Amino acid sequence: MSRLLLLLPTRTYRASDFMEAAARLGVEVVVGSERKQVLADVSPGQHLLLDFLNVQEATRAIVAFAETYPLDAIVSVDDDTIILGTMASQALSLPHNPVAAVLATRNKHRLRLIVAQAGLLSPPFSLFSIADDPAVVVRQVPFPCVVKPLCLSASRGVMRANDAEQFVRAFRRLRALLQTPDVASRDRELTRQILVEGFIPGTEVALEGLLVKGHLLTLALFDKPDPLDGPFFEETLYVTPSRLPATVQEVIVACTAKAAQALGLREGPVHAELRVNSQGAWLLEIAARSIGGLCSRTLRFGTGLSLEELILLHAMGADVGAYTRERQAAGVMMLPIPQGGILREVRGQEAAQGVPGIEELTITIALGQEVIPLPEGAQYLGFLFARAETPEQVEAALRQAHQHLTFRIEPLA
Amino acid sequence: MLTITEAAKKKILSVMESQGRTDDGLRLAVAGRRASSFQYSLGLVEAGQEAADDVVFDAGDFKVFMDPNSAPNLEGATIDYIEDIQGSGFKIDNPNSIWTDPQHIAVQELFDNRINPALAGHGGFVELLDIKDNVVYVRLGGGCQGCGMVDVTLRHGIEAMLKEEFPEIERVLDTTDHAAGANPYYQPAKG
Repeated sequence: MSRLLLLLPTRTYRASDFMEAAARLGVEVVVGSERKQVLADVSPGQHLLLDFLNVQEATRAIVAFAETYPLDAIVSVDDDTIILGTMASQALSLPHNPVAAVLATRNKHRLRLIVAQAGLLSPPFSLFSIADDPAVVVRQVPFPCVVKPLCLSASRGVMRANDAEQFVRAFRRLRALLQTPDVASRDRELTRQILVEGFIPGTEVALEGLLVKGHLLTLALFDKPDPLDGPFFEETLYVTPSRLPATVQEVIVACTAKAAQALGLREGPVHAELRVNSQGAWLLEIAARSIGGLCSRTLRFGTGLSLEELILLHAMGADVGAYTRERQAAGVMMLPIPQGGILREVRGQEAAQGVPGIEELTITIALGQEVIPLPEGAQYLGFLFARAETPEQVEAALRQAHQHLTFRIEPLA
Repeated sequence: MLTITEAAKKKILSVMESQGRTDDGLRLAVAGRRASSFQYSLGLVEAGQEAADDVVFDAGDFKVFMDPNSAPNLEGATIDYIEDIQGSGFKIDNPNSIWTDPQHIAVQELFDNRINPALAGHGGFVELLDIKDNVVYVRLGGGCQGCGMVDVTLRHGIEAMLKEEFPEIERVLDTTDHAAGANPYYQPAKG
């Protein structure tokens, strides 16, 4: 039996889907986490405690572990462990992306530089220190602009500013977020900088792909039917297949493939976010991982394989080129957070789940816990999944189901 | 089949009266098995809302409804109401063993003696619901309910231990409503 190291941060949304995928494939899994698993002692050789913030030391620990328990592949499920997974794979001569390529995907400024140098459409951008005075640096900023952290995911910390006053406010708000202990401890260098780039008007899409020896396999192209024009960029609907014209879809795929090539990415999953307008496709971000949250549950391949199964198969050296997404349309709604406070009750769940086409509703914040909206929030409220014959039906089902839901959130005193 | 002490009857009637539900009955059920004892749920059931297959015990002033799975496990039980310096509450003395089948008993012992003491470190626990066709049905609670790492605990911990001790066990099926978890130990977050 093959043995695979799954790098699972204890705060990942993906543990269940990857563990399930490994079980279905009959792969022996070793779980690498930054905190000890509660029953780690009962199954030696299946758990590895790793310091995700000390990549060199964690790489050494993986190499030492592999001397006793040889590994056939290493898979990072989230952003937090991608660099470690790449470095450990390199150390063990397992298939991997170049470390420099992965480092670039984890630094939005470096990504911007490489994308611009590759001749892809790129907005004007500037890098500032959190120590800079926004009232001074505002003179270098085009409007409208987007203020971004270099290393957070899922729109966290991303804000649009249309004028100097909004820019100063957004800059200060992001600086405060970057200085919170939870965020600052992730990367002392990247969390001391702020990227400002010109706002790109247009339609936003997400491409889910798999790189095999440098060739991009497009697994799914998602439309994002809700406008994402700010001031914050809370993602809601993802629907696939895309309803954009085939020629536009080709431009999106070509832009993603060129960006991956420019970065030097060659193996494994990629998740790209792009905007499309009359000028063409603009790459917003590309990450060397699969789609986040629970969104992968929208995807099925071949005879019903999950995205996680496809990723694991590829990591174990299988040829996955023949797998295509199912014919049916599918989609997910990342439930928008209506307000901050303590989540007390979610009403209408049965009615929402009863809407034709709805397959699953999962609330991912426990009752009694705090709900924090963007740009500061780091947790999804929940996910609604739908499947139907057409993308229009999927979108309608998700919107109808969402209308049944009411969230009772008690404001903090 | 059941004995309800005068103190318990008095308390139940007082709750019914205070809620204006004197026509209601009492629902008593076995809600789980943990630490070598049954866990119970007690509540009022509106007149006419009892299930067709409920087992009914007439306590005189009210009726007690038990689902068919719970009823045999409550045979001969005594419901009492205790009030003392440490607090107050219903107390159920049950002469029944929580399992009679040797395999169930052995798995329960593994849960009680090795797995649950370890899970308690994260404020969690696992309950054995049943074993059928070499599939072990469980429910997780406390810090395990809704925990982001629960599948690791289940596959690498609980299932691994069960398969090691009982090679005939094929898999463990988790029936937990994880969305209802109020205090999961690991809570997921965006990167």
